[in-house]
Amino acid sequence: MGIFLFQLSNPNTNVSIILPEVIVAVAGIVVMLYDTFFPKQRTVTGIISIVGLVLSAVVLLMMWSDGASAASAWGGMIANDNLRLSFSLVFLLVTAMTILISTVWIEREDVPIGEYHSLLLFATVGMMFMASGNDLVILFLGLETSSLATYVMAGLRRTDLRSNESAMKYFILGSFASAFLLYGMALIYGATGTTNVSEIAARVADPNFPALLLVGGAMLIIGFGFKVATVPFHVWTPDVYEGAPTPVTAFMASGPKTAAFASFVRVFVLGFPLVAGASASGYLHESWINALTIMAMLTMTVGNIAAIVQNNVKRMLAYSSIAHAGYALVGFVGAGMATTVEKRDAAIASVAFYMLTYAITNLGAFAVINLLAQKNDRRTEFEDYNGIGFKTPVLAFSLSLFMLSLLGLPLTAGFMGKVLVFRPALEAGNTMLTLLVIVALVNTAISAYYYLRLIVVMFFRERTDEWIAPRIPAALAVVLVITVLGVFYFGILSDNVIEKFSHSPGATIRAER
Amino acid sequence: MEPSLATYLALSGILFTIGAVGVIFKRNALGMFMCIELMLNAVNLTFVAFSRYYADVTAQLFVFMVMSVAAAEAAVGLGIIIAFFRNRLSIDTDDASILKN
Repeated sequence: MGIFLFQLSNPNTNVSIILPEVIVAVAGIVVMLYDTFFPKQRTVTGIISIVGLVLSAVVLLMMWSDGASAASAWGGMIANDNLRLSFSLVFLLVTAMTILISTVWIEREDVPIGEYHSLLLFATVGMMFMASGNDLVILFLGLETSSLATYVMAGLRRTDLRSNESAMKYFILGSFASAFLLYGMALIYGATGTTNVSEIAARVADPNFPALLLVGGAMLIIGFGFKVATVPFHVWTPDVYEGAPTPVTAFMASGPKTAAFASFVRVFVLGFPLVAGASASGYLHESWINALTIMAMLTMTVGNIAAIVQNNVKRMLAYSSIAHAGYALVGFVGAGMATTVEKRDAAIASVAFYMLTYAITNLGAFAVINLLAQKNDRRTEFEDYNGIGFKTPVLAFSLSLFMLSLLGLPLTAGFMGKVLVFRPALEAGNTMLTLLVIVALVNTAISAYYYLRLIVVMFFRERTDEWIAPRIPAALAVVLVITVLGVFYFGILSDNVIEKFSHSPGATIRAER
Repeated sequence: MEPSLATYLALSGILFTIGAVGVIFKRNALGMFMCIELMLNAVNLTFVAFSRYYADVTAQLFVFMVMSVAAAEAAVGLGIIIAFFRNRLSIDTDDASILKN
């Protein structure tokens, strides 16, 4: 009992370590207040948000180069490692791009702009805590903060039936998944007696209730599986992505999904490691590796095959996003099988890098789709893209580039991302993982069909009706420049990024309590 | 006689299952939402039971977090359901069928 008093009287508060999160949260609150006093200002709230995000990114980068910053704080609840820093940077990029993409949509649809920007920022705070939380409590709170904001954003077009439906499906299934996740957390706590991920890792070798550990792990896989949209927990994805406003879809496919991956990796790779000579941890490790390997295979195959038959571009990209979650899982399983800490960190970095390349490509593609969609997202069918290739060459060529990057053509970001996530799985030298990589390669070939189809439709089909190319607004031009450059940069000069991603700022990774 | 840990775990498992089955089979959005709340409360019971077993306050704090998140979730969820009802005049999930292949 004396331990409680000691813990209560000795709070380890280190605000500087959560400064990036705090900055984004403050920016969100400022945006909300500003909107209350000066409503209908379309640009100011956007500028405040972007400034907040950039400031936060600067602080993050400084923490990275500052080797002296603590490896963990807040009594081990916040971890400050490469997993946290690299994923947080991806979230900041995603949110900033989403704000720029949505300028077009905001003008067109008269969205409650202040609310939208503050929701985006709050969702980002939640996602950042999902990456930095080293305690199940923080992971849960981060997940809910980001999910609740995203549910609202999906239904932001209140008078539109598709948006309503999308929000409701997302809400019901998202909360359902959260309940599973939470039950998993409760059982893990029951089995080990702690909610701290590092402590759990130390205790999986000798849990109090080994059976509960396995059941809890299974529940966590269900919960996280819903959030990252892996087969068989993917059914909500196409409906939600199709019905939500296009900029929100872009955000959902690249932001919360990446955040869920960050927590997923944190809990499974760092929390459930293989401890030599302990049978309980062996069972747990073997079962989650096997479960995720099979899920990865199913996810890639089902996602790609279902994407082939789609006629709506947003729906096609929804299935493609399911398939990409499968590819990222390959690197994840590779990280779980890594034998040394360096290899594990490199594999985690490859997952973060994969999500970065996917996010930047996807955001670019959705930026173009959003501009072409016109009011109420009407023009999102494949036939709406007939023959627009040479009428709006900038948009069509950049969209083609993004499709090729999603496919994984060499020299693009998607190619490097795929190479890097497949490598740790191959290095493990396990038959099942090798098979997994083969399945992934076959799937890449299958996916060529529907990615190239969009390019063919744009450039080689005849257009029968009159079509006027939309003007490209400045904000969207910025997004296109950043994403196109990003696709080439990450495709050709990925070494710098991956090098950065695989190194923690502090010397130790394990959080000291 | 005081109930053992296993009794509490069994009860919370049963409650969680009732909630999960309810979400799957109910067709009314509000009913589904209530079932989700039931699942969350089953989890709370698990946490409290373990908290007592380990004589550790962490789980009690976790339960507070879960309760506040559930409240926020109710606010957001009811808002979404009302927006749906206004346009559809129904909260039956079978009516949520525009977005299908």
